[in-house]
Amino acid sequence: MTVAAPAERGRVSRLTRLLESETVLATALLVPGVLILVVFIAYPFVMAIWYSLTSIRVGVVGEFVGLANFTKAWGDSIFQTAFKNTVFYTFWATIFKLALGMWLALLLNRSFRFKRIVRASMLLPFIIPTVLSAFAWRWMFDPTFSVINWVLFHSGVITDRLPFLSDGDWAMWCAVLVNTWRGMPFFAITLLAGLQTISPDLHEAAALDGANAWHRFWHVTWPLLLPVTLVVVVFSVIQTFSDFQLIYVLTGGGPANSTHLIATYAYQIGVASGLLGEGAALSLFMFPVLFAVVWVQLRYMKRMEGH
Amino acid sequence: MKRRKFLKATGAGFAATGLAGILAAHRAPVFAQANTIHILRWNDFVPAADKVLREVYVPEVQKALGIKLNVETVNANDIPARATAGIQSGSGPDIIMLLNNLPHLYAASAVDVSDIADEVGKAQGGIYDASQQLNKVGGMWAAMPWSVVPGMIAYRKSWFEEIGLKEFPKTWAAYHEAGKKLKAMKRPIGQTLGNTFGDAPTFTYPLLWSFGGQEVDAKGKVALDSKETLESVRFMTQFWKDAHDEGGLAWDDSNNNRAFLSGDICASLNGASIYVAALNAPDKFKTEKGAPMHTDILHAALPAGPKGLHAYHTAFNHMVMKYSKNTKGAKEFLRWAHTKANYEKWFTVQKGFAVGISREWEKHAMWNNDPVMLPFKTAPNNQKRAMGFGGAPDKKAAEAWNKYIVTVMYAQAAGGKMTPEQTVKWAAGELGKIYT
Amino acid sequence: MVIERKWKKWLYFYIPMAVFILFTLFPFYWMAVTAMRPDGELYRTFRQANATPFWTLAPTLEHFKGLMQTTAFPQWLWNTMLIALVSTIISLVCGMFAGYALARLKFRGSEFLGTIIFITYLVPQTLLFIPLADIIRDMHLGNTPWALMLTYPTFLIPFCTWLLMGYFKTIPKELEECARIDGATRFGAMIRIIFPVAIPGILSAGIFAFTLSWNEFIYALIFMSSAELKTVPVGVVSELIRGDIFFWGQLMAGALLGSIPVAIVYSFFVEYYVTGLTGSVKG
Repeated sequence: MTVAAPAERGRVSRLTRLLESETVLATALLVPGVLILVVFIAYPFVMAIWYSLTSIRVGVVGEFVGLANFTKAWGDSIFQTAFKNTVFYTFWATIFKLALGMWLALLLNRSFRFKRIVRASMLLPFIIPTVLSAFAWRWMFDPTFSVINWVLFHSGVITDRLPFLSDGDWAMWCAVLVNTWRGMPFFAITLLAGLQTISPDLHEAAALDGANAWHRFWHVTWPLLLPVTLVVVVFSVIQTFSDFQLIYVLTGGGPANSTHLIATYAYQIGVASGLLGEGAALSLFMFPVLFAVVWVQLRYMKRMEGH
Repeated sequence: MKRRKFLKATGAGFAATGLAGILAAHRAPVFAQANTIHILRWNDFVPAADKVLREVYVPEVQKALGIKLNVETVNANDIPARATAGIQSGSGPDIIMLLNNLPHLYAASAVDVSDIADEVGKAQGGIYDASQQLNKVGGMWAAMPWSVVPGMIAYRKSWFEEIGLKEFPKTWAAYHEAGKKLKAMKRPIGQTLGNTFGDAPTFTYPLLWSFGGQEVDAKGKVALDSKETLESVRFMTQFWKDAHDEGGLAWDDSNNNRAFLSGDICASLNGASIYVAALNAPDKFKTEKGAPMHTDILHAALPAGPKGLHAYHTAFNHMVMKYSKNTKGAKEFLRWAHTKANYEKWFTVQKGFAVGISREWEKHAMWNNDPVMLPFKTAPNNQKRAMGFGGAPDKKAAEAWNKYIVTVMYAQAAGGKMTPEQTVKWAAGELGKIYT
Repeated sequence: MVIERKWKKWLYFYIPMAVFILFTLFPFYWMAVTAMRPDGELYRTFRQANATPFWTLAPTLEHFKGLMQTTAFPQWLWNTMLIALVSTIISLVCGMFAGYALARLKFRGSEFLGTIIFITYLVPQTLLFIPLADIIRDMHLGNTPWALMLTYPTFLIPFCTWLLMGYFKTIPKELEECARIDGATRFGAMIRIIFPVAIPGILSAGIFAFTLSWNEFIYALIFMSSAELKTVPVGVVSELIRGDIFFWGQLMAGALLGSIPVAIVYSFFVEYYVTGLTGSVKG
């Protein structure tokens, strides 16, 4: 690249000169994104907070009631169940997704025939729209037509069907299963990318030192993957905690309101019953937890960067 | 410069949409533009009925009234979301179809349609009691009833005959006995107690009433915690274990259809969809003896309890939204649709799955076509109560309905999660939080 | 390379891999069989002797045909494609700019802004959609694809920004400095030097954004009311579930056909996707 001649430099516009300043350029670059987020998230979010502090119902403006909606939610037994369910669901699904995703990533990290096809096809559960795969699973768990029951019944393992979605506890585990099925590919591919950054020499060295496969994983792979793992886990926790579509399609919150998550219950109260203020309050209960998760991650990341 | 190009593109996008809108408004003749009606309904179980709307009503109302009718259908479960968004944002469909007592919930956003209701009522000899309760809010009609989908028990004629019953059991006790025998033959009753808007409440509410239980008293105080309610829960718990397919706790409105058509259950409370599906596909759905399933299906009302026979039927109503820019056209359309000649076209393709809103339609010749459908004819006339009975089917009743409190009360006991005493106390407590 | 014995390979690799593949792909096989199963066979309970859940002896394409011809499925496919594409482009551009600014430029409040952008990711759509309906109406975007093309970036931009931020951090500063010494402007250096180097990361962010747009349900349900403007998830759920009858054959056909476009995109880019994330996770 040639240095611009003095005459040309004079023609450089004021705008260009302005954009040389880091602050100005940064502002200009951030404007489009921030604008969209302000208009379509920040503003409606503030409105939603306002809703949660009033007794607003569909078409009825309502009046300011302070924290009444929040206290009503706190004492609501269905909400308490929903909160417990959400924590249960998020906790177990994340653990399974992490463990299985990690294992799958380790397997995919090797060289084998059809590697490309397998890697691509592993992503299918993640690709298919949630509502549609949830329907497919619901059909597989159906009390009358379940294929899983068929297999177990005809192989003699069970004599009567398993109550996949008819029992609250079973249903929650089924939801965890479907969520794991859906989310594991994302973990696997992301961790796989991380694994590719680990030089094989490190493994060689460890192996020469006498470490077996498990030791190699635990002392070499795992620490190096920690940053990636943490980030993926945080994003997954956020998504899972505020999950709506999966339970909505799989159980609708039943049986007997026992599989509600915070998001599905908030929807049922806010939209189906028209109690917008209460629905907003219910949704906002998710915030403290998510906020805490994010805060922990940001702190950790800052510490990592400090090294 | 990428940024500038991007902003320009967005701006152009905005402008294009806005510009297109303005151009459209100016180009079209004001008369035609002003007379568009957007109606939002559910995806009718009977697809032929939606065809009537789109292929018959649309051209005919254009000819008759100059109204351009835009029919949109969505999943019934998604209508409250659309209605809420429409009301809150002040724009959306002009007419929205609302189930059950949703008119009470949205009454503040409704256009008074009392004139239409009064006209139709006079012309047809009076609208059904239940429809009146569900649509009249504070003396004004908040929505215009359109149809009722009665729920009857569809049952396998031959199986009941095998255990010696030529007629369907008339009391809960008799039904219990029959169910016990049938379940022992691996032919249980199939009933949903899940969180589903159709079959579950239409079973549990009448069950409660027939034992003498009710949610609130005339003064609006919670009256659920009574010995009548307890008796009904105790009955249901035993009934469930003895006679029902216990997977029903997770069923939605479609599971019992499938189970019945597969020959898995002997009876189920449902709209006519089971029979109609069998009728439409006699080769697909056969009995275990090889006969077409529809020849083995009969319908009956819910059994009576110690305190009488009760029923609840799903009501389908049309609300004209206040935010609509064409309330005049919307009302004209409704008036037009309710005239005998026009309504009849929709009514006849239903074949009895959905019925009219007055006794007038019980006299229609369509009922002579199929004796199996006859019980549906008079069903809505027998419904005297709606949710929230004791009080009005108002927004508090709607909240209770949407939280499935009554249904869950039975489900918890039937599923063994709570004792009957506990679950009644729980339900009464939940109602208490609503009826403060 | 550590040499393994044959049986170890089978135990530690082939068998687990097979189980994973089975677990991941069985539902798709299931959907395919259901989609090709004639209606008569769909209603066999698991107890019946003639139930054949794993295969069908009379495969039929009637469900696919029905789906394509009696519903507006092709139209929905096109809509969803278009909306996903535009949302992805918008989010990518915003994410690239924002990611670069936060990663490479020093200015006051950069950390704060980064955190705020990240936090917007936490706000659930089920909370926002009612107030958003108001805003969409005010902007006259109701029932136009732009309603979705502008709201989808709200949950795509934070992730793209974070991802690209991480990626940009790994690119050596020398690259820009050389370019600027040679007379390029900051902006020019960003566009001409940094972005091309970051293409794998950009691709992976783009793929992820595309998938999320494809998957969205509630905004599409609320903001689009014309049958021909609906997206695949909304259309399939709306049209193929009537009252209490689920058209399972067509539903599953729709599910399969609804995943194919994205799967195709993935198959082209999956290797890029993997290496693309490599760069960002180092950061």
